[in-house]
Amino acid sequence: MDKTTDMVPAAPLLRVSDLRIHFEMEREVVEAVNGMSFELLKGETLGFVGETGAGKTTTALGIMRLVQTPPGRVVAGSIALNGEELLEKSEAEMRKIRGNKISMIFQDPMTSLNPVLTVGEQIQEVIRLHNDISDAEAVKRTVDMLEMVGIPGERYNEYPHQFSGGMKQRVVIAIALACSPELLIADEPTTALDVTIQAQVLDMMRELKEKIGTSVLMITHDLGVIAETCDKVAIVYAGQIVESGTVWQIFDNPQHPYTRGLFDSLPSLDKEVRRLKPIEGLVPNPADLPPYCSFYERCGRRAEACRAGEPETVEVEPGHRVMCRCARGE
Amino acid sequence: MSTLLEVRELRKYFKTPHGWLHAVDNVSFQLEQGKTLGIVGESGCGKSTLGRTILHLVEPTGGKIIFEGEDISQISKRRFKELRKEMQIIFQDPFSSLNPRMTVEDIIREPLEIYRIHKTEDALRGRVKELMDTVGLAQRLARSYPHELDGGRRQRIGIARALALNPKFIVCDEPVSALDVSIQAQILNLMQDLQEQLKLTYIFITHDLSVVHHIADNICVMYLGQLVERAGARELFVQNLHPYTKALLSAIPVASPHQKSERMILKGEITSPINPKKACRFAQRCPHAKEACFAREPELREVLPNHFVACHYAHELNNLSE
Amino acid sequence: MAKITTPAMERLRQAEKKRGAEKPGRSSAAREVLHRMTYNKLAMAGLAIFLLLVLCALFPQVIAPEGYDDQNYARAFTAPCLQFPLGTDSFGRDILSRVIWGARTSLCIGVLSVSFSVLVGGLIGAVAAYYGGKLDNVLMRLMDVLMAVPGFLLCIAITAAFGSGFIVIVWAIAVGSVPSYARIVRAAVLTIKDSEFVEAARSIGASDVRITMKHLLPNCLSPIIVQATMGVAGAILSAAGLSFMGLGVQPPTPEWGYMLNAGKQYIRDAWWIVTFPGITIMAAIFSLNLLGDGLRDALDPKLKK
Repeated sequence: MDKTTDMVPAAPLLRVSDLRIHFEMEREVVEAVNGMSFELLKGETLGFVGETGAGKTTTALGIMRLVQTPPGRVVAGSIALNGEELLEKSEAEMRKIRGNKISMIFQDPMTSLNPVLTVGEQIQEVIRLHNDISDAEAVKRTVDMLEMVGIPGERYNEYPHQFSGGMKQRVVIAIALACSPELLIADEPTTALDVTIQAQVLDMMRELKEKIGTSVLMITHDLGVIAETCDKVAIVYAGQIVESGTVWQIFDNPQHPYTRGLFDSLPSLDKEVRRLKPIEGLVPNPADLPPYCSFYERCGRRAEACRAGEPETVEVEPGHRVMCRCARGE
Repeated sequence: MSTLLEVRELRKYFKTPHGWLHAVDNVSFQLEQGKTLGIVGESGCGKSTLGRTILHLVEPTGGKIIFEGEDISQISKRRFKELRKEMQIIFQDPFSSLNPRMTVEDIIREPLEIYRIHKTEDALRGRVKELMDTVGLAQRLARSYPHELDGGRRQRIGIARALALNPKFIVCDEPVSALDVSIQAQILNLMQDLQEQLKLTYIFITHDLSVVHHIADNICVMYLGQLVERAGARELFVQNLHPYTKALLSAIPVASPHQKSERMILKGEITSPINPKKACRFAQRCPHAKEACFAREPELREVLPNHFVACHYAHELNNLSE
Repeated sequence: MAKITTPAMERLRQAEKKRGAEKPGRSSAAREVLHRMTYNKLAMAGLAIFLLLVLCALFPQVIAPEGYDDQNYARAFTAPCLQFPLGTDSFGRDILSRVIWGARTSLCIGVLSVSFSVLVGGLIGAVAAYYGGKLDNVLMRLMDVLMAVPGFLLCIAITAAFGSGFIVIVWAIAVGSVPSYARIVRAAVLTIKDSEFVEAARSIGASDVRITMKHLLPNCLSPIIVQATMGVAGAILSAAGLSFMGLGVQPPTPEWGYMLNAGKQYIRDAWWIVTFPGITIMAAIFSLNLLGDGLRDALDPKLKK
């Protein structure tokens, strides 16, 4: 990938290059992530958009070094946080990083909290794991965290089942942010929530991000959520980033046929359309990916040349990269 | 256009250890033949129960359901079995709504077997093939099991099963919310085509406002078991009158970075309507709530032509004259 | 209904057709399960041992070198040698032959008693779950009472009361395991009863009987199959235990547990008399447990690879 034209000379917080993660099953190899490269600067929010099975969550787990092995395996690539290679760290070193420098919010707030511990204990656990502080100090910081996510400190001693869905997701966010991580990975953080609650949670996340200065990797299938929260976007398809750029570049000037397809298949509130334009066909089977462009089968602009091999990534404007033959203006 | 379905003051209460849960409370609407009525609301607002009550999958507590001029809220089981041919349902979850031990063919032919519609095995098979064609399922999938197929195809099976008996009316309970956007668009188009060709009437239950805006002719907004606003689809999105509708609309993230509008963010969360007081159920979260809202229950009133709102202050808040 | 064609559908159909060549139609569910099992080497080993035992049970007259009661005092206490690979017992009977003939007794007891308890327990569980309420409560409390008595003690009590013999043993063992099947079926039916596909069946006008037969039962078969496989192992062990104590099958009928009992007094001088029946019991139970474990994995649709 061409990096020389990068405008920002500062070293990125997270640099993932050519990451490949495969799941080696008895009968087949599922190629979940196939050569992902991206950078995340400090304080920036990068959105990962894609359909079910595109490899978004696997990438996130890969960064956390939480891909279940076996069957999962990081086949190639590098993940550097502040220039330090995460793939070479020992499990003990990773434990110090997880929850402290990188933390993750999972989709389902109902299952990511331990039902037999109070919410206070669960937040405190992370704080004490990564900080050497006194009991009183830990409790005080826990209460601060709860209040920061808009939950009264008195609810410290309550159990997760006493909270509603939106409140639980706030607790999860409080746990994730308890150690002021440099990188927060949010995997569909609002998908399980209702719209009005989603609005509350997104709003709160935006505020907290500004306050703490955390970089966020936001994984979602909802282009609306991306537009509202992200600075940059990466469109993920079959384990690859097919298009990436700033929110403006992607939303105003989508180049990859898949990105355009996504926008076209979305029912819009402003436009009256009689019929939607869906992307035809289905996502390719990740255990049987073609040696050429993985979007070929569904693409409206395909040509014989597309079958020649993997498409190159082209930078169509500064910071806006497209992995498609058409993007070169051919 | 003739009225196909009319629901009058429909109620469905469930008994819980804490009291009566008013899942559907005094809901009334009319639905014309060939139209789509969208029912929007957040989880727990009773929209699914409403759909199931109309189809007698749960028995109504009170009120009337009038289908083609016949009151079907209190009819015999036998007569209702006849009516089931006319009214069908498409479920939300294409994973759990199909029996995992039955093949695609078995699932689609089951309703035909139950009603013994076809005299011969050949006719039955022909009909199953035709249904699979209609919803765009390849014949070679007839012997597959649901778990071998993706969500979009599974939802097509559900649609084929619902169409098997030639119904006039289908309740679609969040038929696309478990699907990815690109597949969602395929299914929505299919449902629109079927509606046009077969003159189907839909009740389309969803929490996704952009989907309902796309497919519905009329929309009901539900909150804690009650309708808070009912209007034509376009009207509702242009001129919404109830504070809840406004909040719901402003909460949808818009897929465009240009419109980072200032939001109306509601405080608190939806509670459950157990033994509700005689008050406006939205008052707790409403930014405009006044004393009257906690004292009296607002009725669904026609504020503008064909535009109904259940809010004491609908006129004041929207600068309308009484 | 008129056949419908719109441009969009036509395109879809084309796309479906194109994909048609990718994957051939799948075979039946049972074959799929077997296919998945073949990847589990332990389960296949279990299946192999179990099939061997089944063969022994079906055709002992062909497989066994001698009859089960061919006594010959001249050759009593022969240690394992070429002629008698597993040696002979105090009556000079070939132990290999007796172990092979014994498979018939043990497997019959195992399979019959488990079939009985699956049928009765399954029925009780299904009825309790489907009708719910008071009936559920009464039935399940009855099951709890039965469960409160230790299974083996119950067997001893029944055989002590009704005398020993093949039939008594079968159902002494069966009665004790009825509650566990009732519980499994009840739990399975309860989870499936509320699933959407049962509601879907109701929405197309299916009757209660149809729902039970086509939708509920086929979907709770897999936990029952797994439990039953392991149940056979348990029943064989119980039968052996009863016979060991002299409450089971009466001599000269060959039975592994009884062989253990008969040989225990010679254990210092003729170790083979107890060792080989013991190993056989162990192998039978081990193979069934492996098989049960393998089935559990193969039958779970969520573990689809």
